[in-house]
Amino acid sequence: MSQSQQRLAQISSQLSSSVSPPQSARDAILSKNPDDIVITLSMRTALTKARGGALSSTSLEDLLVAILKGVKERSKLDPALLEEIVFGNVLEPRANYISRGATLAAGFPDTTATSIASRWCSSGLLATQAVANQIASNCIDIGLAVGVECMSQNPDDGAPKFGPQISNHPVAKDLTMPMGWTSENLSADYGISREIQDEWAAESSQKAEKAQKAGWVDDEIYAITTTFVDPKTKESKTVVANRDDGVRYGTTKEGLGKIRKAFPQWAPSTTTGGNASQITDGAAALLMMRRSTAEKLGQPIIGKYVASTVAGLPPRIMGAGPTIAVPKLLAKVGLSRDDVDIWEINEAFGSVLVHCVKTLGIDREKVNPRGGAIAIGHPLGCTGARQIVTALSELKRTGKKIAVTSMCVGTGMGMAGLIVSEQ
Amino acid sequence: MLEFRTQGYNGYSVKYSPFFDSRIAVATSANFGLVGNGRLYVLGLTANGIVAEKWFDTQDSLLDTAWSESHENQILAASGDGSIKLFDISLDQFPIQQWSEHSKEVFSVHWNLVNKETFLSSSWDGTIKMWNPNMPTSLVTLPTHSCTYSAQFSPHSPTLLSAVSSDSHLRIFDLRTPASASNHLVMSIPIHTPPKMRMGAAPAMGLPPSEALTHDWNKYRDTVIATGGVDRIIRTFDIRASGQGPMAVLPGHEYAVRKVSWSPHLADVLLSASYDMTCRVWTDGSAMGAKAEPGNPMAFGGGREMGRMGVHTEFATGVDWCLFGAEGWCASTGWDERVLIWDVRAMMGP
Repeated sequence: MSQSQQRLAQISSQLSSSVSPPQSARDAILSKNPDDIVITLSMRTALTKARGGALSSTSLEDLLVAILKGVKERSKLDPALLEEIVFGNVLEPRANYISRGATLAAGFPDTTATSIASRWCSSGLLATQAVANQIASNCIDIGLAVGVECMSQNPDDGAPKFGPQISNHPVAKDLTMPMGWTSENLSADYGISREIQDEWAAESSQKAEKAQKAGWVDDEIYAITTTFVDPKTKESKTVVANRDDGVRYGTTKEGLGKIRKAFPQWAPSTTTGGNASQITDGAAALLMMRRSTAEKLGQPIIGKYVASTVAGLPPRIMGAGPTIAVPKLLAKVGLSRDDVDIWEINEAFGSVLVHCVKTLGIDREKVNPRGGAIAIGHPLGCTGARQIVTALSELKRTGKKIAVTSMCVGTGMGMAGLIVSEQ
Repeated sequence: MLEFRTQGYNGYSVKYSPFFDSRIAVATSANFGLVGNGRLYVLGLTANGIVAEKWFDTQDSLLDTAWSESHENQILAASGDGSIKLFDISLDQFPIQQWSEHSKEVFSVHWNLVNKETFLSSSWDGTIKMWNPNMPTSLVTLPTHSCTYSAQFSPHSPTLLSAVSSDSHLRIFDLRTPASASNHLVMSIPIHTPPKMRMGAAPAMGLPPSEALTHDWNKYRDTVIATGGVDRIIRTFDIRASGQGPMAVLPGHEYAVRKVSWSPHLADVLLSASYDMTCRVWTDGSAMGAKAEPGNPMAFGGGREMGRMGVHTEFATGVDWCLFGAEGWCASTGWDERVLIWDVRAMMGP
């Protein structure tokens, strides 16, 4: 190259450099940096009914071993490189024992540490946050977040018997009340009718039906072969859990309108078995590492964890949690609600869904595009991670980028997280 | 605003004389410096506007200039052919001294402001050289192994010098240290490092490394250096805390930043010239009561743009403050064949 050509090349490289600073918070969040926390594998089991579903005879131990083997198989990551697995779980009192044991039994070496993350319905997201924070602060390089719940094996017995300090406290005493009571409080305080809850619940089922029939959810699900014991005949047989069996095809608002009130004792008694989340078994897993690590190992980057936050509110209206957690999250990352392409908001109850979507002022079309917990179920510890799995799959299908996942948290909290798809 | 046309020559650098408030030198090149001659203008500011008191033509393009700090008539020119020329403006035509050690384009020359006896040059050949105008060969050669667009002596210490290069690093050399293996290099700061995370603030965004084109030592705070380059961002660093990342990040220019220059009058104010054709004035946020710029996610440290001059119609390449008189006068030059003399205060917003 002649000298003048070299000079020209130098000046044009100074002008056309690919380096351009992000101009908005959205650009900044979409930019790729070596120290980003990325998700390289996102998968879940089928969500199946705690009564009679394909996983309903599967113990927590067996469910964990199965999904951990799935992670090993699908990620093709050397198991020795996985430094910690954080399990989000709510109901199993001995989860510490079972998770450590299942990790070893699934074929991970004894060098892979385990821990538990528990904050009711946000446990799966809390586990994800814990792994991301450990990677960001350089405690570990590679971690796995798992959300898991066997509601068929671990029934929710509610609050323990409190002493006088809690039971006489004007706010804390509400913790003894069941979740259904909080749903009715929400309906009463904000005037949410039975009719609109049934309408939105039916829509959730219709969206789930459409997504299932079109095969959109297939890439979320890792099929598990397990043993199913028929509760009536006590016959056991081998089944493959590969589809969400809670989805009721042909659900209509009118059909849901005929279902009897679940909580006639608490006015306005708008909640029914049809417009509330189902009791379900399931597990979800997210493999996370720094972008630089993923590139070094050749792991496929499917998304990026950006941020998450939590906020508290009175326990008696715990269902409004997302209405305070989401604005807090968006303020932290500098995004507006219009920057978000998909919202995964946990449908703990129809009242929660209606109240949160209306209060946040978000486009209903973008909320739970594949249906939510009313349609496919709400395995408590699993949901936080499951919503990320669903959001990443839907972002991939639609070619969109940014998803917010949020859920109300029993005892009066809300959690929200932001992820970006890079598929 | 006063204007002078460098007809047929595109401006590369402009410098006020340290001795006279009415004398300005401009390094220019024909054909945008890609091929052809160079010309060093010595301009006088008179009651009748700007007049060319003298000019020197050179074989190759001229990319930078620096006035001697010890002799009012002597001036250096950095040439595209790798040579450095010393002219005496009381003489005609030819340089009184010439040095040809660099193997590629010389991008910057800078006179030692403290001992006034030595000067620096930096080059595309990946070296910085220190010279004494009375010596035929360079005194020291400092390798950077990377095209070095800008080298400067500290205005506070005769033995401390700095450079920025295309490898996105700010290097500090201290000539008091033994040469040994490190060639006097005492510090190498990656310019692209994001600011350190602070509690309660959103984490700063990282940017990939990019060519650094210019830098300048603060005239009041002896450890503060501003840098600019291809990533369009101006940053300030405190060399006492080199591991902390930038103190201030000032985004705003839409193309590469070609020149930054701290005010000789105010410790927090600097000027910049960019390929986006604007010259902008900034505060780095270190002054009391500085208001941070809201909105831009890259901004850090509380600094902000205070005003801009958008009269140039091609790349703005050089800008320099007048050292005398009312604070705020400056000169700029660019590829539009113009030298503009203007008052920064007239460009500042409310």
